[in-house]
Amino acid sequence: MLATANNSLIAGRTTIFSPEGRLYQIEYAMEAISHAGTVLGVLAKDGVVLAAEKKVTGKLLDLTGAKEGGYGGSGEKIFLLNSNVIGGVAGLTADANSLINHARTIAQRHLLTYNEDIPVEILTERLCDMKQGYTQFGGLRPFGVSLLYAGYDPQYEFQLYHSDPSGNYSGWKATCIGANNGTAQSLLKQEYKDDIEVKDAIGLVLRVMSKTMDSTTLGSEKLEFAVLTLDPETKKPKAKIYRPSEIDALLQSEGLKKEDEEMKP
Amino acid sequence: MNTFASRFSSTSAGAELSKAKAIAMEDDDFSDASWGSEAGYGSLAKGVPTFSIPSVADPTAFLRLHTDDSSDPNCRIKIQHGTTTLAFRFKGGVIVAVDSRATAGSYVASGTVKKVIEINPYLLGTMAGGAADCQYWETYLGIHCRLHELRNRERISVSAASKYLSNLVYGYKGMGLSMGTMICGWDKTGPAIFYVDSDGTRLKGDLFSVGSGSTFAYGVLDQGYHWDLSDEEAQELGRRSIYAAGHRDAFSGNTCNLYHVKEDGWKFIGNYDVSKMHYEGPGDVPGSAGVAYGYDIRVEGRSSADS
Amino acid sequence: METSFALTGKGYVIIASDTTAARSIVKMKIDEDKVKALGPHLLMAHSGEPGDTLQFAEYVERNIRLYNIRHNYSLSPSAAASWVRRSLAESLRSRHPYSVNLLLGGYDVPAKEPHLYWIDYLGTMSEVPFGAHGYGSYFALSLLDRYHNPDASLEEGIATLKRCIDEVAKRLIVSPSKYTVKVVDKDGVREIEV
Repeated sequence: MLATANNSLIAGRTTIFSPEGRLYQIEYAMEAISHAGTVLGVLAKDGVVLAAEKKVTGKLLDLTGAKEGGYGGSGEKIFLLNSNVIGGVAGLTADANSLINHARTIAQRHLLTYNEDIPVEILTERLCDMKQGYTQFGGLRPFGVSLLYAGYDPQYEFQLYHSDPSGNYSGWKATCIGANNGTAQSLLKQEYKDDIEVKDAIGLVLRVMSKTMDSTTLGSEKLEFAVLTLDPETKKPKAKIYRPSEIDALLQSEGLKKEDEEMKP
Repeated sequence: MNTFASRFSSTSAGAELSKAKAIAMEDDDFSDASWGSEAGYGSLAKGVPTFSIPSVADPTAFLRLHTDDSSDPNCRIKIQHGTTTLAFRFKGGVIVAVDSRATAGSYVASGTVKKVIEINPYLLGTMAGGAADCQYWETYLGIHCRLHELRNRERISVSAASKYLSNLVYGYKGMGLSMGTMICGWDKTGPAIFYVDSDGTRLKGDLFSVGSGSTFAYGVLDQGYHWDLSDEEAQELGRRSIYAAGHRDAFSGNTCNLYHVKEDGWKFIGNYDVSKMHYEGPGDVPGSAGVAYGYDIRVEGRSSADS
Repeated sequence: METSFALTGKGYVIIASDTTAARSIVKMKIDEDKVKALGPHLLMAHSGEPGDTLQFAEYVERNIRLYNIRHNYSLSPSAAASWVRRSLAESLRSRHPYSVNLLLGGYDVPAKEPHLYWIDYLGTMSEVPFGAHGYGSYFALSLLDRYHNPDASLEEGIATLKRCIDEVAKRLIVSPSKYTVKVVDKDGVREIEV
């Protein structure tokens, strides 16, 4: 009891209402995210597509680990949360790693209890319960992370969710978080069609990404990319997070590859 | 996982909440401090009413050692087990009839036990098994029925009252409670009977009999029972069935207490001596044919011989 | 003696349980319903230790309902069965374990498949085409090995169930007199007369 009282004395101020009725810590967290690398998701009829802009680059960065092994991706923006859910993160990378860890634990615990993959919205909700807790309990700072969840479950099939530091979440047909998300969202609004298929969604995502990203280059060193579809054989969800070489090949085939002299090996 | 996360994870938060709710439901024995910052809503140190159990390593074995007369006839405490109780529902309400014998082993400890517990003017409970257990918990039930009335401005239903009791005794399952009871009464749905025992069983029904003499009572009761019994016939059937058990079961007898529950609550009908019923009949009471119940007297003068 | 049967057929599961509630040699009740509808497409027959059976069944029922309300997502039969099994296994390792045997049948709406799970009080779970608990199982299992047909129509399924009931009535010394029979299929849960 004593310990708790002390705790709240020290740290009672992290997230309290301002006289105007606002929670500044949450707004600051959201502000931090709006400068982070863009993450973009599009829900298609037969799958979900996710792309993310990497900010940490440079030719001295060692990415050998991303080229082989693992499940793909270079491990900065797009992660496999469970066999049926891919997560894309924007914000503080360290906070994101902790959230991803929790998400994976939640998904595994669900598998242990129910012997089925966790439904997408339940995973989103559970993670948001935690994010919300950090806006209210003393001594803690909110997570400076927004996430996109691309997933599949048998009842509601393909889904795309977004969650922010306050613990709010919502479902989308197409959305974008991070830097320039306003531009990206108006582009998506213009170009999205309700019965879009994955093959067209891939093109849409890459086109919007190439327009919104600040940099003059577009290649695997700046981009992460993933697609969730159904395996035609097993009818189970299949998450594919592209390797750097696969991203370059994809950009090439879409005619969007932009080279930068500095990045050339 | 950090301490916050573990504190926040839904399992522990949910457990805290359910504990807090459990406290809120059982709000007797509360000190004022329980509501203040000293205890806080999550503290369980105070305010939880509990039933004291012997402070020994294994209370169940301890109880059995001192009370189980079937394995040790010299045990120090003998719990009253022999009984006949019955209750049935019919168009005129509920009839509750019980015997009055208390035995401790082969010794008749009392012949004037009240085995019907008057919970409130609309609810009766019967007593079989441990007399103390029944008396204590049915009185306790009465307190909660009254609290329900004060809180909700209406009488508790028989269903809810019996469920309260069954959940309560279920919490003590395996710890030596011994009860077999029928909660009888009249509520918005009309006459109702629930059988509740210390296993945690709770059954809704029209007709029950509990105790060592129940099989003898059933023999008469089942044969004479139908829904459209008149009040007098029903009372007579209850009386006759308890007599049958009192006569055949060594652990039941002495007298029969008879109650009738109607829309305006229960009414005590009478106390009848089993021996007197055997030799003379129940006397000048409604429903009685005025004949003695005893076999020899009932068939006097009749013969099976061909003649 | 307590007895319950269940069997699957083309797009349905039938679950049957006797209706007696006994205490020592006395039948306290002859019309107790021991097959609970846990949801729109989920049924569970429960038997075993008096008191535990209903307490556990209600615990399961309330938790499954809570999951539906909280998440707006109904548990599939396999997920529900896994949860029930885990609850029972955790209870087994507590101070007061539930001694309950279960038959859990459900219709998986998205997959358009019926499923039946046999669960005992030790937390053993197995997905089966048919199953039984109690003394009746000693007669019914061999009978079902011989007569069960996975793509039988509902009428044929009921006829097979009747064989089980009749066999138990014929051979078991204290056989139940009445059964509740419930079916779950794409249209939901309903009670039927046999």
